[in-house]
Amino acid sequence: MTTISTEVLVIGGGATGAGVAWDAALRGFDVILVDRADLAEGTSGRFHGLLHSGGRYVVKDPVAADECVAENPILRRVIPDCIEDTGGLFVTTPEDDPAYGDQFLAGCQRAGLPTEEIGVDDALRMEPRLNPGIKRAFTVPDASIDAWKTVWSLARGAAQHGARVLTYHAVVALHKDGDAVTGARVRDELSGEELDIEAGFTLNASGAWAAQIVKLAGIEGIGVIPGKGIMIAMNHRLVNTVINRCTMPADGDILVPIRTVSVIGTTDMREADPDELPVTQAEVDQMLADGERLVPGLLQARALRVWAGVRPLWQDERSGEQATDTRDVSRTHAVVDHSARDGTRGLLTMSGGKLTTLRLMAQDLVDAMCKQQGEDRPCTTADVRPPGNEDGDLYTLGSRLRRREGTQQQEQLICECELIGRTKLEETMRRRGTQNLDDIRRSLRLGMGPCQGGFCIYRAAGILHGTGRLDGAQATASLTSFLSERWHGMWPILYGDQLRQARLDDWIFQGLLGVQHLPPANGDGRVEAPAQETVA
Amino acid sequence: MKPDVVVVGAGLAGLSAAVRLAEAGASVRVLAKGVGSTHLGAGTIDVLGYDADGGRVDRPLEALGGLPAEHPYGLVGRAGVSAAIEWFKGRIADGPRAPYAYVGDAEQNVLLPTAVGAVAPAGVVPETMVGGDLRGGGRVCVVGFRGLKDFFPALVADNLSRGPDGVTARGVELDLRPEGRADPNALAYARAFDDEGFRAEVVAQLVARVAPDELVAFPAVLGLVSPHEVWAEMEHRFGRAVFEIPTLPPSVPGIRVYTTLAQLLTRAGGRVVLNNVITGAERSGDRVRTLRVRVGLREVTYEPEWVVLATGGFSAGGLALDSSWVTHEVALGLPVAGAPAPGNERFGADYFGGQPMDRVGVRTDHEQRPVGEDGGRVVENVLVAGATLAGAAPWREKSGDGIALATGLRAAELITGDAAGHVGDVATAGA
Amino acid sequence: MGITDKLSHSQHDHDPPDVLGDLMRGTLDHCVKCTICETFCPVANVTPLFPGPKTVGPQAERFRVRGEESQDHSLDYCSGCGVCTQVCPQGVHIAEINTQARAKLKERDGFSLRDRIIARPPLLGRAGTPAAPLVNKTLASRPLRLLGEKLIGVHHAAAVPTFAGRTFQGWAKKHQSPPATRRVAYFHGCGANWYEPVVGEKTVGLLEAIGCQVDVPRGQSCCGLPLQSNGQFDAARRYVRTMAKRLAPAARAGVDILGTSTSCTLMLKREAREILDLMEDPDLKVVSEHMYDICEYLVMLHDRGELALELQPLPMTVTYHAPCQQQGHGIGKPALELMALIPELTVIENDAVCCGVAGTYGIKVEKYEIAANVGRGLFDQIEDARPDLAVCDSETCRWHIEGSTGVRTVHPLEIIHRAAGLSSDAELRAPA
Repeated sequence: MTTISTEVLVIGGGATGAGVAWDAALRGFDVILVDRADLAEGTSGRFHGLLHSGGRYVVKDPVAADECVAENPILRRVIPDCIEDTGGLFVTTPEDDPAYGDQFLAGCQRAGLPTEEIGVDDALRMEPRLNPGIKRAFTVPDASIDAWKTVWSLARGAAQHGARVLTYHAVVALHKDGDAVTGARVRDELSGEELDIEAGFTLNASGAWAAQIVKLAGIEGIGVIPGKGIMIAMNHRLVNTVINRCTMPADGDILVPIRTVSVIGTTDMREADPDELPVTQAEVDQMLADGERLVPGLLQARALRVWAGVRPLWQDERSGEQATDTRDVSRTHAVVDHSARDGTRGLLTMSGGKLTTLRLMAQDLVDAMCKQQGEDRPCTTADVRPPGNEDGDLYTLGSRLRRREGTQQQEQLICECELIGRTKLEETMRRRGTQNLDDIRRSLRLGMGPCQGGFCIYRAAGILHGTGRLDGAQATASLTSFLSERWHGMWPILYGDQLRQARLDDWIFQGLLGVQHLPPANGDGRVEAPAQETVA
Repeated sequence: MKPDVVVVGAGLAGLSAAVRLAEAGASVRVLAKGVGSTHLGAGTIDVLGYDADGGRVDRPLEALGGLPAEHPYGLVGRAGVSAAIEWFKGRIADGPRAPYAYVGDAEQNVLLPTAVGAVAPAGVVPETMVGGDLRGGGRVCVVGFRGLKDFFPALVADNLSRGPDGVTARGVELDLRPEGRADPNALAYARAFDDEGFRAEVVAQLVARVAPDELVAFPAVLGLVSPHEVWAEMEHRFGRAVFEIPTLPPSVPGIRVYTTLAQLLTRAGGRVVLNNVITGAERSGDRVRTLRVRVGLREVTYEPEWVVLATGGFSAGGLALDSSWVTHEVALGLPVAGAPAPGNERFGADYFGGQPMDRVGVRTDHEQRPVGEDGGRVVENVLVAGATLAGAAPWREKSGDGIALATGLRAAELITGDAAGHVGDVATAGA
Repeated sequence: MGITDKLSHSQHDHDPPDVLGDLMRGTLDHCVKCTICETFCPVANVTPLFPGPKTVGPQAERFRVRGEESQDHSLDYCSGCGVCTQVCPQGVHIAEINTQARAKLKERDGFSLRDRIIARPPLLGRAGTPAAPLVNKTLASRPLRLLGEKLIGVHHAAAVPTFAGRTFQGWAKKHQSPPATRRVAYFHGCGANWYEPVVGEKTVGLLEAIGCQVDVPRGQSCCGLPLQSNGQFDAARRYVRTMAKRLAPAARAGVDILGTSTSCTLMLKREAREILDLMEDPDLKVVSEHMYDICEYLVMLHDRGELALELQPLPMTVTYHAPCQQQGHGIGKPALELMALIPELTVIENDAVCCGVAGTYGIKVEKYEIAANVGRGLFDQIEDARPDLAVCDSETCRWHIEGSTGVRTVHPLEIIHRAAGLSSDAELRAPA
């Protein structure tokens, strides 16, 4: 059994974990970050894409509102390349109480959130597809934020400062020495081998799975209510501003333009298991209807993909709070101090929170650790840009188009929908060192456009195979697993244009290529004779 | 023009029906929203590749008997399928690309490699592909082009070698680019192959590298205008079987079929008119009297004697599922069979498994007239052909071209009066 | 479903009246990336500078934000031939999306002097007509054309028409059309007005011969198509509205409007409404509803048995090319149907999507080679056929074909006119 050691073990590679690793690494700690899957595959990779101005919380959850007001500009400063300044609107739809708008304004004022009421005509000029029946409209500094870019940027930044990032390493046990947590045993999910990590301190940033982790330390009475929410990505930007319903937080009340799509969300249903998040027909119909209310005609637009994310809603039996409606639980975050609560040292858990406050959550968690260790190392994440954000420019939608224009005469376009050229693709494949096309998808948005991989996934499998990363069996497995994974997000919203696309893709993959008839993987795969010769 | 017959749809079903009708002397106009399935298909005529359990079919005509009761092949019978194949082969051989020809028949499938290295049954195939028949195994040198992102020879070779069919393969990649293009597609390569200078380059780079017992495979780019000449020259220069493997669209073999059929149609006095969308029809008694068509921003009407509806399935837009989960036949609002009611499951979680929506389409009687839920004929002078028909999952069975061709042709013959009586010789399971 | 009186329009309307606000842009949702448009694109097939209609259209459109700059200059290589929209099986209005996107690109980059001038045929017409002989000599002078190419950017070898030195409008003013029960209006277009008034005269003559009273509405200017193709949308709208005003009275009186320039008729029939966002303009709407290509109209009459025309044998061989914009009407090839009525006439139908010139596209110095390559197949077909004449419905195509092949190219109308005994062989073959 190999053992590696570090000062800080971070469990969970979502926005929280990556933020913690970055923060701790900047403070000079030696860090190992582990996640049982790819980075941002949990809640972070399945969220709405909204960088909150705080407007959503000013009335009902002022603490959360204050946090958003503070953090929004900080994130724009340090990770601008992950953020598009779409702006936001709060609109009173015909079904909403116009008086709420006054509460909204008062709440914004209290929180110091810059807002302005604009005329309905102006709002409709800004966003011609908005429901023409809206009665009031308010501008806010909402933005859209790319979670994968964010998480990878933070992780790469941490790595540049010496951190080790171990994806596909699941925690199977926490090590204790007396009353202190001293590290963990992890299993490499790809090789099956196990590995011990000795850590001076363990930070549990595993979000919806945090309760499962603390149980490994023998800690009881803590739960996380998986609050499932579904979101549907519509094929193109029906709006270019974040649209919020000006009302108490409800289902389906936000439409976010993020990258090339617009995302309508979300629902809130209590589930039992954060790994079992079914998408129900009723939820889908509800989201589409909610979207139609904001943008009439949405029902005739093309729905691309549906997914379910899970909010980590903290429930501590000891504190006596029992939330019934998961929406009533505060969206702010808290550090769970296990030495105070459970007499267990060397372990802290981050509970609750939202992506917008990821930096603050990381700061609070690492500060708490420093305090317990008697370390005086201040946080610097509010002023340092992680890799990829160096030029300080906010992301613009046209950036990939501009880049492609420059390379059009030099290189092939592999994923046409999302404008990914061959060079970038091969670079990412090399850097990730992965055999899994879904990992590449998360890094580059490969196959996330309208054709959902119909054309590009075959090409990507061929390229991955050609770079020597895969043999035929592995290429086959990667292709079929991509197709199965993508199907999960398609079939509940399969109608209209997307059904047409799906049938064309079925023809390509099953009829033309016959992927389901490829010989199955059988062990050692690699062909004896050199598989390819290149003639220059 | 006041055509006797309006064929709706310019895919294989529509074009076959139109050519057959026009050559029999009918005045035919094909109205289509756009170009059809030919450009996306493999360019082969697959009768039946896989049975209901996903097992390979070796003798498709025999296997027709194992198909579900409402399968479209039940409308045409074995004789209808064979006749359609022979007709098609004859027309291609007679067409502008002669002597480019299709070979094979509906009795026996061949086994051809796919662009991912699977080995799949295929029916009647162009001469440019038949050299790839891997029944009996073999050694293959799979040639690709670095510039062509839609074909990966190493992957094809690797998977072919892994398979149980006794095939050993290796990949070779040439760095030749038509016109020095950075991102050429299959069509650009096909045009390059039409040029003898390019062909000479290819041969020069390859001929010494090919082992004595290796067949030579290319992606399906062996000429757009002169495929016979290109392929024959390649076989001559390499001194062995050379063949092409269909790959991602655009399908060059499919384009050859389209242009051949469209030219045959024009020769026979018919015409394809694009960007025409059927918006509905008015009936008089049990016949459609007026067909309403949107052309640009205008509506025009036709009063044909007959309408052949060959608008395709879901991928072509002939059938559609709306956001209230109701399925429609788009052009004429004909009754759709097999669709789960809104609220019931339409699809399942297993991508590769059967789905409730698989066989949805318009059901017809044995004269290809659409029928309602009660089985009664809805209208007398509309015949349905191709993927619009209920009862098949062509991408799973590899049957789409055969269905399109056979039902398109039979629709035409039902109109001209040449159709044989109901050929009920396909004793389908459960019938 | 029981038996009903009407098999009505099915509830599922594939292209609903647009509720998503952007009539053309919203259709990008239908794109399934099938590549069919790219296989037909005449420009993408001859040059890698244009990545293809799908790429610059529905695909790139997802990356364009209203108000944000359009990024991709390769879009400018789109010739606007419109074939992509015709062949798209999913109903994406690709060419229209491209044209709108190009306008945004030009707005940002600004319009060159050349593009301002060549997009305004009336300006050129008015300037060149008074001194026509001198202007024509200049345009025929190679050294002066080379100079012109350097100064303005119009390729020295690009086919340009000869100024007639008079206008069709001038002729029409003096012409009294005999009263008849069937009334039609003639939309002559800039081509007939400044360069080919004979075509206009023949059109009027033929229509009168079949029993129509022909009204030529006064003050007709330019349909705005060149301005639209060159991205100058505000100016294009002004031209369109003016034209619509001139023609609307006839349309409102129920009089059909016929045009001999198949591109211009398409512009007012459909393109201006879709692309310039003038769907609801009341004048344009009524004009569009009454607008016909001349061959389209004659075939309509023929189908109804109302074409009173006696056609004499015409023993010659002609080729026929349907311009890309004629195909855009979606009406088949009525010129062929008409010419098929002429005894002893051999018509060879050309098989080409576009001749390459696409209005003003092919005369530009940076596009000339591309246009020449696009048209090469067509020119070879025409030359191989060794016809007496080539036939084509659009004037810019005729000039381009004639310039590239040396074969005299005429409007189908002129063939009919000859076969109707209304002109002689010499008149048919005479240069415009």
